[in-house]
Amino acid sequence: MPITVAVDAMGGDHAPSEIVAGAALAAAELDVRVLLVGPEDVTAASLPGSAEGVELVHASQVIAMHDPAAAVRTKKDSSVVVAAELVRDGKADAMVSAGNTGAAMAAALLRMGRIRGVARPAIAVPVPVPGHGPQILVDGGATVDCAPEWLVQFAVMGREYARVRLGVAQPRIGLLSNGEESGKGDELRKAVYPMLAELDGFVGNVEGRDFMHPTVDVIVTDGFTGNIALKTVEGAIRGTAELVFSTLTSTPELEAASAAAMPALLEAAGELDPDNVGGCTLLGVDGVCVISHGSSKARALRNSVARAVECVESSVVARVAQAVADAG
Amino acid sequence: MPAETHVGRSPIGPDEVLRMIRERLSEILEIDEARITLDSDFTADLDADSLALIELVEALEEELGERTVGFSIDDEDLADLHTVRDAVDYVVHRLGDEH
Repeated sequence: MPITVAVDAMGGDHAPSEIVAGAALAAAELDVRVLLVGPEDVTAASLPGSAEGVELVHASQVIAMHDPAAAVRTKKDSSVVVAAELVRDGKADAMVSAGNTGAAMAAALLRMGRIRGVARPAIAVPVPVPGHGPQILVDGGATVDCAPEWLVQFAVMGREYARVRLGVAQPRIGLLSNGEESGKGDELRKAVYPMLAELDGFVGNVEGRDFMHPTVDVIVTDGFTGNIALKTVEGAIRGTAELVFSTLTSTPELEAASAAAMPALLEAAGELDPDNVGGCTLLGVDGVCVISHGSSKARALRNSVARAVECVESSVVARVAQAVADAG
Repeated sequence: MPAETHVGRSPIGPDEVLRMIRERLSEILEIDEARITLDSDFTADLDADSLALIELVEALEEELGERTVGFSIDDEDLADLHTVRDAVDYVVHRLGDEH
């Protein structure tokens, strides 16, 4: 019996066409059954002729990217809420949304519930590390204002997720700060440092430059700084790529000289492409919820479905729940 | 006049609303109920973010909806609820409106 993934067909900048195409791609390439959730007239019109493995589930409403998270209360028949309900009701094993992150989080939290003992959810974001497996950033933006105890819980959840996702038995955990020394940081970081020091795998503070570098496997921070750091990394990657490729094509001589290296460069650049990394996983909810980035196209959505399948197959929710329980 | 209820239970007063809020909030925030008093500010004292308040509202609607026909909390009113006392007063008032 293949794993069933509910996909929010109406979430994302390129919804529904690219999301529907990605769902069809996932069903064609992966051993997965996809429940495509959205207004049936819209999803049916977007779906190519016979997309085997894709079934339509009707949801009459849509939560837009600019809507507040509280829209899940007023739009109870929205595609993202219905997707979460399919997981809650056991009709799907996981959900994927490229839509409004706040709404996806709220829908997952309200419909699937929280893992017992978890104070706040966190988003685990895979950050590419060249020539190496990714590192995990926790929290990528779920919980903006954090208490020190919550960051410790993020570290516990992130460590277990890294074990599953990266296959590392004892992931190295770093606390994002403005200096490596233990006394560095704002009040939150100074308060949480001694608490994290009690945790197996904690190696101390890390800095922004440790992103995309195999210094640590898990970078822990609050959702506010985590989201800013993530977007900064994305911007730096994009800017660097533009600089390299525009330089190499700036004159006919340079273009000719770099022609032989271009395929390898493009392949290397693909390693950093968010579309190839797959979505982010919402940790702390009692079900699998993968959040794909808002600009997801078909390939990115397909990879997010693959991530959701991996999460189900590796029992990541049960493992995170056990880790939280063990940590007390 | 008592509230119209599904199961004929007694009317819901401020003490019971406070009990519900404390119970649900302690589950949502993973904190001891003793920390939650009438004067607790959701943000400043309990670190409750908007998502936690949405969870609380949904939980109250579910619990009170089983006992009082048509009970609901308007999202527009959420911004005015700063303390536990605000929430208790609001819910009691809404329960009165449902009678």
